[in-house]
Amino acid sequence: MEIASAILLLIGALAMLVGGIGILRMPDLFTRLHAVGITDTLGAAAILLGLAFIAGWGLLLVKLFLILAVLLLLNPTASHALGRAAVHGARRPWLSAPK
Amino acid sequence: MVEAVNIVLLGLLVITAVAAIRLHDLFAVVMMFGIYSLLAATVFVVLDAVDVAFTEAAVGVGISTILMLTTLGLVGRWERRPVHRPFLPLLVVVVTGAALIYGTLDMPHFGDPDAPVHQHVAPRYLEQSPDEIGIPNVVTGVLASYRGYDTLGELTVIFTAGVGVLALLGIRRRRQDEATRER
Amino acid sequence: MLILVVTVLLGTMGLALIRAVRGPTVYDRILAANAFTTKTIVMVTTFGFMVGEPGLYLDIALMYALIGFIGTVAVLKVSEFGNLGQTRPELPPKPK
Repeated sequence: MEIASAILLLIGALAMLVGGIGILRMPDLFTRLHAVGITDTLGAAAILLGLAFIAGWGLLLVKLFLILAVLLLLNPTASHALGRAAVHGARRPWLSAPK
Repeated sequence: MVEAVNIVLLGLLVITAVAAIRLHDLFAVVMMFGIYSLLAATVFVVLDAVDVAFTEAAVGVGISTILMLTTLGLVGRWERRPVHRPFLPLLVVVVTGAALIYGTLDMPHFGDPDAPVHQHVAPRYLEQSPDEIGIPNVVTGVLASYRGYDTLGELTVIFTAGVGVLALLGIRRRRQDEATRER
Repeated sequence: MLILVVTVLLGTMGLALIRAVRGPTVYDRILAANAFTTKTIVMVTTFGFMVGEPGLYLDIALMYALIGFIGTVAVLKVSEFGNLGQTRPELPPKPK
């Protein structure tokens, strides 16, 4: 149980770190959306699942899965809405590197 | 560890505040204020003031963002150049801040059991609220009577939150001409 | 382990904040603020487990998630339509 929790927490922390660096380093908005996608889904889900292994059965587990469900529902929705708003605001993704 | 988390959060708070002052795009400033409120609420959480954190998050991140955005729709997005010199307001702010910091020197330490708030108000609430108000539940007595105006203000905040959500959902009364046109 | 995760999350919050400060477009700032909210939620949850009373902190994290989504949707609506829907765009004429 502890080992599974530790592995999941490590995966989550790694995904958070990689995604955070990606938010900072990626060249334009749409590539940054990909980086945020990593942290919002894989990172958050892995960390919350790792915490669920620590929490054990009970109300804590229900709350953790509620947070997880809310995050997994709302964050991709927000990302999608953001991408759509950016396209409406006349921003186009880079389709190739500038020469 | 808790102190380290506090220090990091306060550092991020300072960065956010400086960025909010230096930006001239008011839309971006609203975003920075949202982050600022979230950070302030997290500091409250780390300090164990969970109820204050609830209020700060709901008001700061939810309602005030919506209210400021509505205001931006009226006044436009870019900051105008100020017409007056900043020195007099700066002086007032510095004097007020110095007075407030001087005032904190007399405050009791964080979590001090001898602090006045633990000495005289709380025992009186506990012992005398059945006689003074006649409600057996102390919490209800404090919220509804001793702090009645405070609760009224909170209710106003909750009402504003409902209005903000309604504005977000786009529910509004249909005008007569639109109603006839769609018929 | 939990301390490591909290440290990493604080660092990631800092990175997202730098992106929010640097911009350059409004959409980047919205993106950074949204990512920042997610990291704060996970950080508060992990912090609750770290100090040993997760119950309180989970409630806070849940409310952050809901409130943060309201804020993001409001901001996006304004950035796409210009306001929160006080003025309605002209209806297209009905086909005869």
